Amino acid sequence: MAEIVAGIATSHVPFLAMHPQFELAEEGQRTRVVAGLGEARTLLEQARPDVIVIFSTDHFDRCFYDNLPAFLVGVGEEAEGPVNEWLGMPKVKLKVAGGLGRFIVSEGLDNGVDFALSQELPLDHAEVVPLSFLTPQWDIPIVPVVVNAFAPPMPSLKRCWQVGAFIRKAIERWPEKKRVAVVGTGGLSHWVGPPETGKVNAEFDHWFLQCLVEGKSAEVIEKYKKAEELEKIAGNGGQEIRDWLAVAGAMPARLKPRVLAYEPIPQWATGTGVMAWARS
Amino acid sequence: MSLYQVNKLLRDINRSAELAQRCRTEPEAVLQHYELTAEEQKAIQDWQVRTLYDMGANPLLLLVYSMATGRDMRAYVTAINQKS
Repeated sequence: MAEIVAGIATSHVPFLAMHPQFELAEEGQRTRVVAGLGEARTLLEQARPDVIVIFSTDHFDRCFYDNLPAFLVGVGEEAEGPVNEWLGMPKVKLKVAGGLGRFIVSEGLDNGVDFALSQELPLDHAEVVPLSFLTPQWDIPIVPVVVNAFAPPMPSLKRCWQVGAFIRKAIERWPEKKRVAVVGTGGLSHWVGPPETGKVNAEFDHWFLQCLVEGKSAEVIEKYKKAEELEKIAGNGGQEIRDWLAVAGAMPARLKPRVLAYEPIPQWATGTGVMAWARS
Repeated sequence: MSLYQVNKLLRDINRSAELAQRCRTEPEAVLQHYELTAEEQKAIQDWQVRTLYDMGANPLLLLVYSMATGRDMRAYVTAINQKS
């Protein structure tokens, strides 16, 4: 049976990997964020995962209102991206752990989680940016799970946590003796496109991080049952905390959470955070 | 229905550097492939992102479409806060 060996949640703001936008952030802030990602990479390396299940969102690069799944699992053999050329990032190609992806989908369909699947899911910056820091050798196969955290109507926070918890059980039932890490990307508070673009709500971000550290995902879920309420306080980009909650839902009790970095960076228009769940 | 077409155009531009380029050099040729009202066409041709936002276009799409067509974040923030 497979085992979950680590969890990481991190922002995926593209400016982390774009120049000169990266340098717009104050030096101390960007240094601390990169150090947090470096620490996350070290924790991952120590955990020696064979596979990474990565919860991320989309930015209308792969999904649109012509076909909009709530939870979409990549089940092919490899994936390439990011899709958007205007980001100016070099394209990368990495292996997809299609066997685990297909297992998760079929376990879900048999047991009450109706995943969509894609045999040819390209990568978005939501995967490429964090993985460029966490696994820069691009040598660990992934199972991408795209959560609709970008195009209303979206699955509830509660559902995202539950899907994370379901995927933990599926991984633990997967009849392969593999070590699996779970990564979630997005957030924290940010407004992407509306007149408030550039605003960051550090108070919300600190509260959210503290809830996860204390194992109180339920408090977040209870407070923000409606996406509109979350959007008011954390922005449309703040909807991406769904991916963090999915990781929290997937974590076994033996892995302890802690915050590795948090900086409110208006120059990147994002409350930028990094968190890990690891053996203490 | 029509707003779906606006969002679809923005999505297509976000996905295709070639289309983003054509949207600047020959916008009419691009826009004719979408079912847009005259008001929507004008707002896109004149890069009136605030007008499109007030019409109900998706804000994330407005931002990425703007980036894809060569506008920077500072210009975008100014434009999205500019009421006509």
